[in-house]
Amino acid sequence: MATTSVLTPIKRRDGIFSTRFAGGRVPLTPSPKTPRTQVIQDAGVPTESIHHGNANLISRFSRSVSKTNVRDSPKSNIASRPTRDSPRRLDLGVSDFALTGTGPRPGTATSAKNTPSRSRSGRAASVHRTPKRTQSKVNYTAADRFIPNRTTSEAISTSGAVVKLDNEQTPGRRPKSSASDGSVVLSAGASSAFDLGRHPSSSDTTASLSLEGLSLNDNDEDDENEAPMTKASPNTVAYQQSVAEACGVSIKQRILAFKPAAPESSRPIDLRSQYNRPIKPAAASASHFRRRVLTAPERVLDAPGLVDDYYLNLLDWSSGNQVAIGLERSVYVWSAESGSVSSLMECPADTYIASVKWSGDGAYVAAGLGTGEVQIWDVEDQTKLRSMYGHETRVSVMGWNKHILSTGARSGLVYNHDVRIAQHKVAELVSHTSEVCGLEWRADGAQLATGGNDNLVSIWDARSLNAPKFQKTNHKAAIKALAWCPWQSNLLATGGGSHDRNIHFWNTTSGARVNSIDTGSQVTSLRWSMAYKELVSSSGFPDNSLSIWSYPTLVKNIEIPAHESRVLHSALSPDGQMLATAAADESLKFWKVFEKKAGTANLAAGGSATVKAGLTKATTIR
Amino acid sequence: MPPASKEDRSKLHKLALKGSSKTIVEFFDFACNTILFQRGVYPPEDFTTVKKYGLNMMTTCDDQVKAYIKKIMSQLSRWMQKAKISKLVIVVTSKETGEHVERWQFDVNMFNDASKKKPSASGDKENSAPATQEASPDKSDEDVQKEIQALFRQITASVSFLPMLDGNCTFNVLVYADADSEVPLEWGDSDAKEVKNAEKVMLRSFSTNSHRIDTVVSYRLAD
Repeated sequence: MATTSVLTPIKRRDGIFSTRFAGGRVPLTPSPKTPRTQVIQDAGVPTESIHHGNANLISRFSRSVSKTNVRDSPKSNIASRPTRDSPRRLDLGVSDFALTGTGPRPGTATSAKNTPSRSRSGRAASVHRTPKRTQSKVNYTAADRFIPNRTTSEAISTSGAVVKLDNEQTPGRRPKSSASDGSVVLSAGASSAFDLGRHPSSSDTTASLSLEGLSLNDNDEDDENEAPMTKASPNTVAYQQSVAEACGVSIKQRILAFKPAAPESSRPIDLRSQYNRPIKPAAASASHFRRRVLTAPERVLDAPGLVDDYYLNLLDWSSGNQVAIGLERSVYVWSAESGSVSSLMECPADTYIASVKWSGDGAYVAAGLGTGEVQIWDVEDQTKLRSMYGHETRVSVMGWNKHILSTGARSGLVYNHDVRIAQHKVAELVSHTSEVCGLEWRADGAQLATGGNDNLVSIWDARSLNAPKFQKTNHKAAIKALAWCPWQSNLLATGGGSHDRNIHFWNTTSGARVNSIDTGSQVTSLRWSMAYKELVSSSGFPDNSLSIWSYPTLVKNIEIPAHESRVLHSALSPDGQMLATAAADESLKFWKVFEKKAGTANLAAGGSATVKAGLTKATTIR
Repeated sequence: MPPASKEDRSKLHKLALKGSSKTIVEFFDFACNTILFQRGVYPPEDFTTVKKYGLNMMTTCDDQVKAYIKKIMSQLSRWMQKAKISKLVIVVTSKETGEHVERWQFDVNMFNDASKKKPSASGDKENSAPATQEASPDKSDEDVQKEIQALFRQITASVSFLPMLDGNCTFNVLVYADADSEVPLEWGDSDAKEVKNAEKVMLRSFSTNSHRIDTVVSYRLAD
């Protein structure tokens, strides 16, 4: 846009002018931004210049240039005028204003950023084009960007009226023109003013004013003009100052707001209640957790030769209250009731025990070997019932669902074995591409969750094992820790390894992740409490601890420094109160983490029972 | 520690600004959480206790709020490290009337850059005599933590004189930044969101080796 329109702030001139300028802008310099310079020109008629905003800029320029010795830009006009005709100048005062406004002036500064280069080029262009045209126009561009607040300015800017002055004009006329201009201006200020240029006055003015040529030469002239201008019009100065001031403030500092709205609070808050209770959440969690958790182990046993391998599952506690642990090549059974230990089995020297799992009734132990063989032992008789083959790689995790034994192997395959029949392999669950190290049946046997070294959690529907119902890739490390919530059957907790450290909670009906905890350390196992809405997680590096979390608040109730090296396995006693943990420091420790208060029922057993008990209690109190 | 560090002056100071900024941003984070909790912008169930500054600090555990604050703080720490910030303001606004009812302003004063640069410049040459940093005497971390603790105690205690809020409020975070700061899209120019007809109370200040934070809370006078 070559338009040379400048806003003129305010001049000393007539009230009219001043009003105009004040209200609007004077198009002094071409403002790059304002495309809508309006030039009033009549190509044919030298005298009149009426321009409509956008159409004519170029034309204007060209015309103007040609006409006058004067340069294209209105500014230049101003400048030129002084030289030429004194009277005109007077009339032109308006134009002068324009000049001042436009010029290199500081006042314009804001616009200046964008404009200067453009304006010049525009001028230049205009100059070249112009020569032929006789008329010169003054454009009022909407340029005042500086002053956003002015109501008038908008109108002006839009209108971008151009007043042309012809050099030729007679002094006598000029006054008219000026008057007309003024009127024009006024009108412009009013709003639609642009047309003004076209008004008779404009025509006169056009004649009188030949501004166009101005622009090119203007620089020098402008300068000259400017200086006087500033002096002349205090208003301008003030204006500039104010602009500068405004700019200055903003330049040094801005107030920035974070724009996105703050999240809505879930409900209105009654502050009074808040003040009246001791810091609530703390209190809440504390009271919630008023029960004491013994931070010292109930019992410590040695577990010599416990293989320090995250992927194995070597500890299990039976419903008959016996603990089985795999130590290198042997499986030992420790009776929690009598405290007696017996060696159940020993595997061949070329392999080792990779997993141990009690059957649901507590009568049998399944042992997975490094070779891929799975043995089932009758504990009472201390005899091996059968061996099941199929896996080519070590069986690192197993899970019973009644007579079905699921075995996960290093190959990533999971087989379901029906242990009652000769052709034991009844299903092959293909999903993992790397070692399966976590496997857990839901208590009702309807779903199976598996976790692998491929960072994948697969949730299977027991009725269709061809493909997993859900595959969850949120974890960033192997998933060994899996636990089904006892009181909400479709809630599954999974814990990731050392690069993940998260516990995720899943709704296994919808597949949605419902919660997450960043535990800060490798999660090696997870157990839900049967009596409290809590779960315990065991940690590997760096904490080697047990953490008890409330659910669904996810508040960590306590962290027990448990072992000297990473906790590898855990198992919950059949009554749900005691947790056994086996760690790489070759010890087996028992913790009373979910000690029951007298009279509370297990959540899993029946939530309704608990509620009833609570109710009766309440009524008795009353 | 202080004696040993002398030789590393130059290093120390580079790190000092960063470390100090971190301290400050962390402080802002907790301050923001504390205010949201204390002034009932979010329900108390949404907060959990964290031990910090030797106090039980309340921090939100609501994912959205957490993320919201985190976004602010991460940008803040960028600005802080470039020393672009002169004020952080948390404005509590009534949802019903849209009035700003409370305004917590934290003025960030950088200690004189010159004083810091000097020692660092001469520092690598020799063990400059204990640098003349009137503004920032070397302060141990503990001292800083203690000052912050005292400030938080005061903020917590301020509920006793602040007017009741109706519990239906939201909040905004404003930052007074240098104009040449880089401004991400999510931030935009704003007015100062001053509280009308406000009473101002100056709270304690605290300082690190590079910054001093002054705290002012302004609130609407009871009608």
